[in-house]
Amino acid sequence: MRRLYDFLEQDTRTASLARIAISVVAVLLIWQVVSMVVTNRLLLVPPADVAAALVHEVVDGAMWTNATATVTAVVTSFVVSVAIGVAIGLALASSRMLSLTGGPVLSALNSVPIIALAPLFIAWLGLGFTSKFVLVILVAVFPVVVTTEAGLRATDPQLVEAARSFNARPMQIFTTVTFPYALPFIVSGVRVAWARALVGIVVAEFFGSFAGFGFAILSASQTFDTARVLGYVIMLGAMGLIGSVLFASLERRLAPWRQE
Amino acid sequence: MNSAVRLRVEGIGKTFRRRNKPAVEALRDIDMTIAEGEFVSIVGASGSGKSTLLRIIDGLIPASEGRILVDGRIVDQPGPDRAVVFQQDSLLPWKTVIDNVGYGLSLAGMPTRDAHRIAQRFIDIAGLGGFEHHYPHQLSGGMRQRVNVARALAVNPKILLLDEPFAALDAQTREIMQTELLSIWQETRKTVLLITHQIDEAVFLSDRVIVFSARPGTIREEIAVPLPRPRTLELKRSQAFVGLVDRIWKLIEAEVRAGLKQG
Ligand SMILES: Nc1ncnc2c1ncn2[C@@H]1O[C@H](COP(=O)(O)OP(=O)(O)O)[C@@H](O)[C@H]1O
Ligand SMILES: [Mg+2]
Repeated sequence: MRRLYDFLEQDTRTASLARIAISVVAVLLIWQVVSMVVTNRLLLVPPADVAAALVHEVVDGAMWTNATATVTAVVTSFVVSVAIGVAIGLALASSRMLSLTGGPVLSALNSVPIIALAPLFIAWLGLGFTSKFVLVILVAVFPVVVTTEAGLRATDPQLVEAARSFNARPMQIFTTVTFPYALPFIVSGVRVAWARALVGIVVAEFFGSFAGFGFAILSASQTFDTARVLGYVIMLGAMGLIGSVLFASLERRLAPWRQE
Repeated sequence: MNSAVRLRVEGIGKTFRRRNKPAVEALRDIDMTIAEGEFVSIVGASGSGKSTLLRIIDGLIPASEGRILVDGRIVDQPGPDRAVVFQQDSLLPWKTVIDNVGYGLSLAGMPTRDAHRIAQRFIDIAGLGGFEHHYPHQLSGGMRQRVNVARALAVNPKILLLDEPFAALDAQTREIMQTELLSIWQETRKTVLLITHQIDEAVFLSDRVIVFSARPGTIREEIAVPLPRPRTLELKRSQAFVGLVDRIWKLIEAEVRAGLKQG
């Protein structure tokens, strides 16, 4: 047992895959047991039924249609959110004035549950890509803005002074000190942004779309097809997990000195 | 001994003025001359303006009064003729040892390959061979300071400015680093200005020790160190060495007491 703990605590790829595998198996087990107790199949279906529903969706092609719609929309909007977030963060970090005046507006926007405005956006922008795009950007951009500004401001002044002492020009200070120092901060914001983007896309698809995981979940729940609902929720969970693992490992790679 | 003047510090004064805070006079009327190839140390109580003077000499901050001349030319910006080894750890944590040592060269526009070649030479001189591709966090404190010294030497400065470079190291490592610094100095013949609060370190390494008074920092006394070179750690036990250390300590002790009386 002791040795198993030691193994799982390691900071290696094998260990983190093992951690994920163990927690997935645990969830499946609990799920299986609970579904043997709760026998109302409208409320809960066992894992095997969900797997069957997923296979069915793949076979009849619905999975492909929905996955394409959701993944294209979420990835494009997410990438654009990151770009916009970094740009705004850079602007805020480089101008005290902008940060003082724009900061409060941004933090107010950040604490408003923008997701609740989804129906409004759809009314304004119509069904389809644009409304999803805008909604996802609005929910995903803030964590990137905040961590970019914080990361750029966090730079160790000692490192900047050393660079200046070697005659570095302001642009060189930015590229060799300030930005690399901020990168792991930014990636941690990007990780949060990915999770938010997934929520944003599903909600946008609930309200206005004819394809995508959110649309599929809504239509399955309207026909009380619990197995299909859970199947698509699992797909979303997997996307979240993949993003989180990917960005966490990127963060570690960019800032190896933070571990030891 | 070569007597050409390398560094002139003329009438330097520095007062920090900040909004809503009382002004701090850190330095007053500092005059000193350091000859080419000379090793000079500054000792003084903490807060006596030693780091401030070093920053002014390097051109990182402007003086309020006076001027700095290197080889007879006024300098008020950092330049390739001076390099600093800082008190705090100032290596880039995301760069390997060889990239850190070559950092100053890359900033000056040297292609990576050439920068690495030169860096390698100073890595070897600093006894860091085999650690080229390690990151700073994988090294001990003593090793990191060697990287700092190698990084400063790599840009081939005329003047090496060291700000309490060994203060954070344990006593044994510090002594080893002192002898290594001496042999590097003997090999490269740089002009060195070392700041330290360790009197024995100053005496062991220097041709001359400058004693600072407490705030505002002024030069209280300059003491020549006529001990023979090359020096080994044995020297620290000699009568002459102990006598000099004692004499400087008495000067500083008086300063500390004066500071206490002023409240
Ligand atoms: N940037 C600064 N702004 C205001 N005061 C400063 C600044 N840098 C140093 N000082 C003050 O100047 C005095 C001398 O500091 P310093 O040169 O670091 O002393 P030392 O290196 O001898 O310990 C101290 O009182 C310190 O608080
Ligand atoms: Mg100091």
